[in-house]
Amino acid sequence: MDFVPGGELSRRIREGDVSAESELIRQFEPGLRVLLRRRTGGDYGLLQDLVQETLLVVIQRLRGAGIEDPQKLAAFAAQTARNLAIASLRKAERQKTDVDTEATDRNADPTPNVDAIAADLEAALAVRALLRELPQARDRLMLKRFYLDDHDKHIICQEMDLSEAAFNQALSRARKRFRQIIEERGFAKRDLLSSGL
Amino acid sequence: MNQERIEQYVAGRMGEADACTFEEYCLANPEFARQVEYEQRLKAGIALVARGSTAEFVRSNDHPMRWKFAAAAGILLSLFTMYYVWNHTPHAMKPLMAAVISDSQRSGPALRLALVRGSENAPVLPEGSVRVEIVGLFDPGFHYSVALDRLEQNKKAETIATLYSQHPTSPVTLEVMVESDRLSPGTYSLRVRKQSSDEEPLDFSFVKF
Repeated sequence: MDFVPGGELSRRIREGDVSAESELIRQFEPGLRVLLRRRTGGDYGLLQDLVQETLLVVIQRLRGAGIEDPQKLAAFAAQTARNLAIASLRKAERQKTDVDTEATDRNADPTPNVDAIAADLEAALAVRALLRELPQARDRLMLKRFYLDDHDKHIICQEMDLSEAAFNQALSRARKRFRQIIEERGFAKRDLLSSGL
Repeated sequence: MNQERIEQYVAGRMGEADACTFEEYCLANPEFARQVEYEQRLKAGIALVARGSTAEFVRSNDHPMRWKFAAAAGILLSLFTMYYVWNHTPHAMKPLMAAVISDSQRSGPALRLALVRGSENAPVLPEGSVRVEIVGLFDPGFHYSVALDRLEQNKKAETIATLYSQHPTSPVTLEVMVESDRLSPGTYSLRVRKQSSDEEPLDFSFVKF
């Protein structure tokens, strides 16, 4: 998709152009998901809520008072998302009550909420399929060390006797295949549907 | 923005100011953002798969070398089987007629065929690989063809095998090997013809029970 300058989008939305609002949603939603995924700790339901809330706040602001520097629309949307994520975190903290922590820990339901399960399960299934397809044990171990153990790339290469080029190539293949698997399983379709908010 | 920056962001190794710049870039570039999101999901998916056990990451039961060894072993087994069958099922593989090429063939069963006038009983072909010694006058400087014909009453002779370019063992002997076990019971004839000449062929009959 071509980048639509924030200034132009702001102007069109202020003038009541509904298609401009759709463009804004298509433009910002993927980035907002990235930003909020980092700040919602894997809670997919909360992530979706915050994405929608952010888009609503931004559109209402543009319909009304507008923003000070329309060229910085992306920065404005990002900061709005961050503020909403912080607010959500504070709200969750406030809602906590004094309880017997040890008792709740003992009796806690270990499963995340339904939306979180749905989101993570899809990625997990794709990872499992990917692992089955990887022909070399070395590649699987490499993924584990890089993504799960967060080991430094250079150390992994050194310890596994790999050149950085070979490491990057194997990683790139794994990423590409993961994306293919997710897309084949319908993630892309849902992605498109959700962009038409 | 490159892959390294994506890795830094997803791994949480980017400072807050850099992360803010990175996020704004994502908002301005939806396709790039999707790329980052796949990286986030890959990391999250791996964490979930590894939550119970990391066995899936370290199993090595499908190591490619194992398949290569299995394939090599399969090929070797096939070759050995073919070799065994070739050497232990002689009747199925050996031709009906062949030249005599080794001394061991001379030590096996044999049949001597000669043109004997007034003879009423045709010689009988023994079982097995039989060395047939054809007695006659042969020219060692020529090649001879030997045709094996099956003779049936009221039917034309049917040639079932032919050997060409056979050299006489001596001026009075020409030898060929005949696989008796491959012949059905009946009357047969070996027709010996001097190649590159217009001489009449000689016919030597025998019976196979």
